[in-house]
Amino acid sequence: MIFETRTVIPEPASIDVESFSPPLPELLLDRRAVEHDLGYHSGTAPEPVIAAINELLPRVASHAQLQCGFRILPPSSVVIGPESVSCGSVSLSMGSVITKQLKSSSSIAIYVSTAGHGMERWANQLMAAGDMMQGFVVDTIASGLVEQASLWLEKKIAASVKPIGWSLTNRYSPGYCDWPVSDQHNLFSLLPAGFCGITLTSSALMVPVKSLSGVIGVGSGVKRGAYQCSICDLKDCYRRREEPEELEEQR
Amino acid sequence: MNEILLSLTRCVERGKVNMKSPYPPDMKGQEGADELARKALDAGIPPQDVLSEALIVGMQRVGVRFRNKEIFVPDVLMAAKAMGAAMAHLKPFFKSDALKHKGTIVMGTVLGDLHDIGKKLVSMVIEGAGWEVVDLGTDVSPEKFLKAVDEHPGCVVGLSALLTTTMVNMEATVKHVKAKHPQVKVIVGGAPVTAEFASKIGADGYSADPQGAVEFLNSRCTSN
Ligand code: B12
Repeated sequence: MIFETRTVIPEPASIDVESFSPPLPELLLDRRAVEHDLGYHSGTAPEPVIAAINELLPRVASHAQLQCGFRILPPSSVVIGPESVSCGSVSLSMGSVITKQLKSSSSIAIYVSTAGHGMERWANQLMAAGDMMQGFVVDTIASGLVEQASLWLEKKIAASVKPIGWSLTNRYSPGYCDWPVSDQHNLFSLLPAGFCGITLTSSALMVPVKSLSGVIGVGSGVKRGAYQCSICDLKDCYRRREEPEELEEQR
Repeated sequence: MNEILLSLTRCVERGKVNMKSPYPPDMKGQEGADELARKALDAGIPPQDVLSEALIVGMQRVGVRFRNKEIFVPDVLMAAKAMGAAMAHLKPFFKSDALKHKGTIVMGTVLGDLHDIGKKLVSMVIEGAGWEVVDLGTDVSPEKFLKAVDEHPGCVVGLSALLTTTMVNMEATVKHVKAKHPQVKVIVGGAPVTAEFASKIGADGYSADPQGAVEFLNSRCTSN
């Protein structure tokens, strides 16, 4: 944010850090979504795969340990520059692709979500017992859950800033749109230690592995547009879509 | 071509493990890879032919179809399971030297990285191509790779990583292994890895998919 407007921006002090355990039934992960995530985009998964999904999905509840949470940085300490966003002494080197999307934000919300260790353990058990396919289905379900938990969290963030008239931009994560994964260290330095049970290794890997991190711009004048692959030139990104509307609204 | 071997190839391709397995539905009640491998050996077909003319052929087709995105990871894993059921009957012949692997590859996910499945998948397809795979697991240090190379003279090394921050540890591994064994070939892979990165760090090969790894091994790493 820019200096002159600092005084008129409300400080959302009461919603600094919040964390949740999203209830499984509120996450939209059904058989078709899992089939899609496994690669069968037109619903052509072979029978044993469909049978595995049908058998495993109802058992997710006893393995998943979903947690997610966010922190809205104090607006007065946030400066959105051309290449980075800084908060106090910490600078997040997101690159211009992302900062352009955040530029009218008053602050940013940092978020994380995780499916916990339980899903990984379950997948490993199945694989060790010789059922690689089932193990892979569980691994894919876990990835889908983390994505869904992030979407769920986005609604919570939106609800918490609504009273002060703010809205949200899209989500942006280290490792996407030119933002280096190594910046995870800076991002995590702005969160309480062990937030939502997630820790970061020196190689910037989040543990549990089934975790996601990122930022969302918040402010009175910001809009959540369609996911814009046209803003980024990473040609082989798996999320690249020709039609920009497709991704976020899909699930 | 022998009828039994043709059926065995088909079982691997379709992921038909044994008589009991209900899938694929159109093969229900028929013999699977398990029974057919036994039958082939009992009929006096040399183990080498069972491996080369049936199992490897089936797995090769699977690898190609996966690369062409005609099938997906679960299909490959089901095929590998059928392959494994047949391989169980061939194991004793490897011990008695009646059957030889094409070579050995030491595989692992590099230091700092815990991603396992991609590496496992590549390993299974490589095994299905007649290679011996020594899987060191995840978070494998350069020292541990070197130790495994010491223990498996003439082996190839395969490195996996899923993040750009862990991919950099591939370079240290390549350097560490090649400092002592300059002739050892290293192939690298994983979502963020590119052919350009591979050549920059001194690796000998790169592949985006398992079949490419098999092609690299068969064309660049065999003595015959
Ligand atoms: C599913 C997924 C996730 C899941 C879980 C990941 C997992 N595997 O457990 C979730 C949602 C949790 C996730 C999180 C993140 N992810 Co992610 N994720 C993916 C995705 C879509 C698929 C990965 C996967 O499981 N594929 C299936 C397996 C079977 O494939 P694979 O491991 O790649 O292996 C294949 C090949 O690579 C190859 N191969 C693998 N090893 C080897 C070895 C050799 C020798 C050879 C020859 C070949 C080979 O063969 C295998 C079979 O085809 C990829 C994008 C993509 N399409 O690859 C991004 C991707 C890996 N993620 C990425 C990122 C950035 C992240 C996050 C950092 C984002 C964030 N800030 O939160 C986090 C990190 C999580 C952590 N723990 O730190 C980036 C990584 C690149 C980078 N910039 O570093 C990718 C590539 C997406 C992108 N930007 O394009 N992710």
